[in-house]
Amino acid sequence: MVKEMLTGNSAAAWGARLSEVDYVPAFPITPQTEIIETLSQWINDGVMNAKFTNMDSEHSMITAAGTAAATGARVFSATSSQGLLYGYEMLYNVTGWRVPLVLINVSRGLSAPITLEPDHNDILSARDTGFVQIHAATCQEILDTILMAYRIAEDKRVLLPVLINMDGFYLSFTREPVEIPDKEEVSKFLPEYNPKHAFFKASNPMSQGVAVLGGSVYSYFKYQVHLASLNVLTVHDEVAGDFKRIFGRSYSAIESFKMDDADYVIIMTNSFTIKGKAAVTKFRKNGLKAGLLRLRLIRPFPSKELRTLLNGKKAVAVIDQNISPGSGGILFNDITTALYHEPDRPEVILSFIGGLGGKDISHAEFNHIIEEMGKSMKTGVVPETQLLYTKGDLEQINNLLNIAGKTSGGLGGIEELKD
Amino acid sequence: MKQSTNEMIKRIRFHGRGGQGMKTASRIVGTASFLEGFFVQDSPLYGAERRGAPMVAFTRLSKEPILERGIIVSPDINMIADETLLNDQTANVFQGTWEGTVTIVNTHYPASHVRNVYGIVGEIVTLDITEIALNVIGESVLSSTAAAVVCKLTGMITESSLEEAVTRELSSINLKKELVEKNVQAALTCFDRIPETHPHYFESIKEDKKDEIVRLEYADPCLGSPSVYAKGTTKLKKTGNWRLFKPVIDHEKCSRCYTCFVYCPHSCISIDEEGYPQIDYDNCKGCLICFCECPKKVISKDREVRTW
Ligand code: SF4
Ligand code: SF4
Repeated sequence: MVKEMLTGNSAAAWGARLSEVDYVPAFPITPQTEIIETLSQWINDGVMNAKFTNMDSEHSMITAAGTAAATGARVFSATSSQGLLYGYEMLYNVTGWRVPLVLINVSRGLSAPITLEPDHNDILSARDTGFVQIHAATCQEILDTILMAYRIAEDKRVLLPVLINMDGFYLSFTREPVEIPDKEEVSKFLPEYNPKHAFFKASNPMSQGVAVLGGSVYSYFKYQVHLASLNVLTVHDEVAGDFKRIFGRSYSAIESFKMDDADYVIIMTNSFTIKGKAAVTKFRKNGLKAGLLRLRLIRPFPSKELRTLLNGKKAVAVIDQNISPGSGGILFNDITTALYHEPDRPEVILSFIGGLGGKDISHAEFNHIIEEMGKSMKTGVVPETQLLYTKGDLEQINNLLNIAGKTSGGLGGIEELKD
Repeated sequence: MKQSTNEMIKRIRFHGRGGQGMKTASRIVGTASFLEGFFVQDSPLYGAERRGAPMVAFTRLSKEPILERGIIVSPDINMIADETLLNDQTANVFQGTWEGTVTIVNTHYPASHVRNVYGIVGEIVTLDITEIALNVIGESVLSSTAAAVVCKLTGMITESSLEEAVTRELSSINLKKELVEKNVQAALTCFDRIPETHPHYFESIKEDKKDEIVRLEYADPCLGSPSVYAKGTTKLKKTGNWRLFKPVIDHEKCSRCYTCFVYCPHSCISIDEEGYPQIDYDNCKGCLICFCECPKKVISKDREVRTW
């Protein structure tokens, strides 16, 4: 084992290298490109034995990834934002074929307006595809999750592809100390992939990805994908147990931070969780019993574990770093659904949207969340979904609207905005 | 007011221009801190710009797990590796500095002079690291020298960790052994030139700034959609400060062929009433295409010095 300073992108490349993947179809996009650059360099230098192919788009890339996995190869690829959406159609195909592979998404806000910093509308758009989804919060977790993801994906109770998410910039370009496990240790944990259901052998031809006409046939296979996904809840915990035994680091579907005796719970995902942890630490210092949960496994959704963690708590606030226009926060719906039938569920559950396009979530915003939780507990009135947006943010946008010529009569209604 | 704290974290911000080596500097400090056994993070902030444009990078080191990510608004150590940035509104190099900040400026001026001109709060240190880099390395690449100054100012990093970090980081970007050794030498020279400091921690004022949460209302689409009505806003984004070299036309010898006018990718060359090409230095990015394309070779390139 060596410990090195690695970016999230390098950690991802190391995950693929240690998993001894056979094939890497690739297409560049910021902020993911460093992953495939690193892999292509290693393959070129001969330190990694895999085939690397530059594709003409993400659609071709995911097609190549899925079809290669259907021949029995272990496949790795990475994309980001618009790239994931461009290949979107093929995500459903790959899950329908029931072939395992690992795809990294480096989160970046979706256009328009175009930006470079992260939120999770990109990755959550793949929520219903059947891909298993795990969201990472540190560079170490990215590497570790890739190793775990192949075990999960290739388990015959699952046989589904896995999407791993990391935030652009906050992880992708940020270096922190990462333990790179030894190859021997990894081979103890992750055996060679040896598929029984989908492979390529000239003496043993099979048809894959066939057409079905008729709803009963279609329903059968679709529901199998759902059941396979649900199996991940068990498989993940087994794999995490093995991982802890061999590497000493433990991961659960939901990460708990200062949850014992917590009354006020904030739920977040991905790298911004660190800001939540800092806020919770500060609240605790001031005598407030605050705690935090980070949802790591997003699909399948760990409803049972969530219930166990939240039953008996006073107030919960969900910060969705995504937005479903016309509805609100995407994960809020999953969370409230999981709790609906619990007699001992938290008294109030509040919904916030924060960190869109990488906007900071400041301590003032966390303060506001705690205040709102307190208010709701007292009055019993729970507010609609709120955007975390400060006076400082408003000043900035007003300034830019001015520059964009939206102030002087005629076109703009700036007066309305000013008050 | 400066208030001591037991929060053991150092937040370091590096200001420079693309190509000066500040990303690498942040990484050298990161690796040196890592070798000392601290919790560490380092990251550059990339914009859409390129060589010569102002850029920032960050390093955090701490005795405890770091509960922060992303940009550093309020630095404990603020490295300004290019003195021309002091005057640059857009670079905003003093953002969030306070009594507890130690600012380092790469200049031959004494600290007192910089303080008087810019009214810098907190401690200030000056050292002409460009000169040291030029003398020892032979190039004005500032990664190892800037990192060395910062390492010393943390009071928490030893000379041997710095040396190892410079070697690791520069070897990883495939610098020749000889050049790496020169960088190590330059770094150690800078390390020696900065007096010994003891680490001190002050409560950051950052958190005290209260901000209010506001509620966004529906806005008329003329406001609420990302369109721009003002004309010619590109002009507001001056790109003249990206230049490392300045093209200068010798009008005496110019034949008025207009090749430069045609080739300038940023439309920074206009033709005056007498038919001579004139360069708009507010926006010329210093790409030197005009310099290369002029058939008469009457455009020269001057090293950019923005005096203050
Ligand atoms: S250096 Fe480049 S930007 Fe400047 S005038 Fe010449 S061609 Fe135009
Ligand atoms: S290309 Fe050279 S000679 Fe021609 S107009 Fe420009 S400066 Fe004058």
